[in-house]
This record gives sequence, C-alpha cells and structure tokens, in this order.
Amino acid sequence: MRDRQKELLELLDKSGANLYALLTRLTLREDIAEELMQELFIKLNKTNRFDKVGNRYAYARKTAINLAFEWRRNRKLNRVGLDQIPEPASNGISPLNTLIRTEELDEILNAIGKLNKVPREAFVMRYIQQEPYDYIAEQLCKTPHHVRALCSRASNRLRHILEHNQSQSFIKETHNVKNRRQSNPQSAQDPLAD
Amino acid sequence: MSKIDDNQIHNRLKTLSQIEPSSESTGRAVQRTRDALLNKENAHQYKGTKIWRNIFKNPIIKFAAAAILMIGFGYIGGRLSAPQALDAEELRAALESSLRTSLEPALREGLTKEMNERWQAAFAANCAQLKDELQLQVRRDLMEFATQTLAASGTMTNQRLMELAQLIEAARIKDRERIETAFKQIEFNQTQLGKSLLAIASRKNELLDIKEN
Repeated sequence: MRDRQKELLELLDKSGANLYALLTRLTLREDIAEELMQELFIKLNKTNRFDKVGNRYAYARKTAINLAFEWRRNRKLNRVGLDQIPEPASNGISPLNTLIRTEELDEILNAIGKLNKVPREAFVMRYIQQEPYDYIAEQLCKTPHHVRALCSRASNRLRHILEHNQSQSFIKETHNVKNRRQSNPQSAQDPLAD
Repeated sequence: MSKIDDNQIHNRLKTLSQIEPSSESTGRAVQRTRDALLNKENAHQYKGTKIWRNIFKNPIIKFAAAAILMIGFGYIGGRLSAPQALDAEELRAALESSLRTSLEPALREGLTKEMNERWQAAFAANCAQLKDELQLQVRRDLMEFATQTLAASGTMTNQRLMELAQLIEAARIKDRERIETAFKQIEFNQTQLGKSLLAIASRKNELLDIKEN
C-alpha cells in the first residue's frame, strides 16, 4: 500500500467522523454528505499539494467546506425535481415545520456560501463547528485576534447578504402579486366570486 | 420589509451546529470512503496519472504536446469561425427572395404585352361589327334626341302662344275700358252742353222779355 493511501486511511480513521459531520451540517443531507466524503478523499488522493501541506486535517476540512458549498451552488443552478428528492420517513416533527426549518437553514448556508474562502472557513469553524478562536487560529495559521476580526467581518457580511436576499424576495413577491392582479383583475377584485 | 436580526442568525447557526449524523450513517460513510480509496480502479487511475506525469517530465514531449494542443485549438477555432452549414430553409428563403426580385419585373412586362396583343386581336376581329353597332347606337341616340327636342320645342311654343294670347286679351280689355271711359266722358260733356244751352236759352228769353217790357 502506498504512503499516500496509508496517510489518507489514517486521516479517515482519525477525522472521518468530524469531516462527515461537517459535510452533513453544510449540506443538510446525509446521503449527499456521504457522496461528498468519498469525493473528498478521492480528490485528496489525486492532488499533489497534499504531500506538501503540514496540517492534513486542516487541508481536508478546507477542501470539504469548498466541496460542500460547491455542491450547494450547483444544486441552486440545477434545481432538482420533486421526484428526485428522497421521501423522508416520519420523525414526529410536522412536515411544515421541517420544511420551514430546512428553508431557513438553506438560506443561511447559501448566504455563507457567498462569503470569501478564508472568512468562510473561519466562520464555519467558529459558528457551525463551534471551535474556539485559539484552535481556529492554530488551524488557519493566524492569530486569534485576526480570526476574531475575520469572523466579525464575515458575520456583518452575512447579515448584509441575508437582508439583501430578503428585500429581493419581497420585491419579487410584490411584483408577482401585481402581475397576478393585472392578468386576472376580476378575481383580484372579488377573490370569493368563484 | 422585515430585517433579519442577529438573534435569528445565531439561532440558525446554533441549529446547524447541533446537527449530528447518526453513528450508523457515519460508520457507513467512513466504510464506503475506505472502500473507494482502496478501490483498484482508483489506484489504477492514480498509477495512470503517475505514468503520464513521468512521460511529461521530458521537455521535448512537453513541447510536442503543446504544439499538438496549439494545432488542435487552431483547428477548432477555424472550424468555429468558418461559415456554418447552410440551413435548407434559410437557403430556400434566400433563393425565393432573389428569384422574386430578378424575375418579377420581366414576368410582369411579358404578361402585360401578351394581354395587349390579345386585346388588339380581339378588337381587329370585331371592328366591323363594332362599327355597325356604333352607327345604330348613334342613330338611335340621335332619333331619341330629335324626338325629345321636338316635344320640348312644341311644349315651349304652346306656352309662348298662350302667353301671347293672354297678353293680347289683356290689351283688348284695357282698350275697351279706355273707350268706355271716353264714351262716358263724351256723354257727360253732352249733358253739360245741353244744360249750358238751356241756361243760355233761358237767359236769352229773359233778356228778350226785358227788352219787350
């Protein structure tokens, strides 16, 4: 067995569960996280830079974050049909609540996906992985002060993105309502006519 | 418009951080990743990549590959920039428009010429008949015109004669009235003359009586 594979298997045994949890949090889908996990390790196996990096886990985590947000971006571009979404088994939570919760989490994850790579990684480690600043600083080879600044800026930017998204969706909804009224004025005047 | 606040963001992030995959799915994912890593095909791919890397270590091969790539890109660029295959529908439309532009005036001129010739031939064949018909028509029209003119002139003459008769009658009535007036005047004068003569006679008698006395 080659050295690279041996190292990767060690990394998988040591940090596989953490990476899988991270991918699950970022994709909100266990099946996708599983696929991305395989893709991650195959990618690490092929890449030349893996031999040169000092902290393999940090590199793997960074790649996993990039893969997850890339998947989110592609999913946004290629909307899947309802028939392609696996039907979840009932877990006792109301389907509407589940839908709203997923929608909210999707919204925030998509907004995080729009951040730059370094602040995004710091932000994910701090707020999604709940890692302390010192640990993040050590992993990213930065000072804790710098990491705090990165997280703060990322947080502000995230708020701005979310507000912008909400205003856009509000404008879109208003426009849709106007269009509906213009296209069907009778039903708009008297919605109970039918 | 509602604004999202920090609490909402933190709540959502907290929810995200609390998501934990089940140990069963984690174990399965790790196992599948291990299988994928150990897969022979994957190893073969890696080996293949390694071979290619060794091959491309030689600068001459690198240069040759670059040249092949350049030629390939040039060929693709040429193919892309070359005029595309003609669309049958587009070709038909272009031909139709060009043919229409070139042939339409000539066709129209020929058609007009032929129509004129046909009209002239038909006119020559029926010329005598047309002449007779025209003469008859003119004669009929003249007769009708003469009849109408005579009728109109007769009516007008009668009207004029009636007017003349009326004028003569009026003049005669006027003359009679004048003659009557003259006769009345003469009669009146005669009466006056008689009275005057009687007055003179009586005066003469008186004078005579006076003289005799």
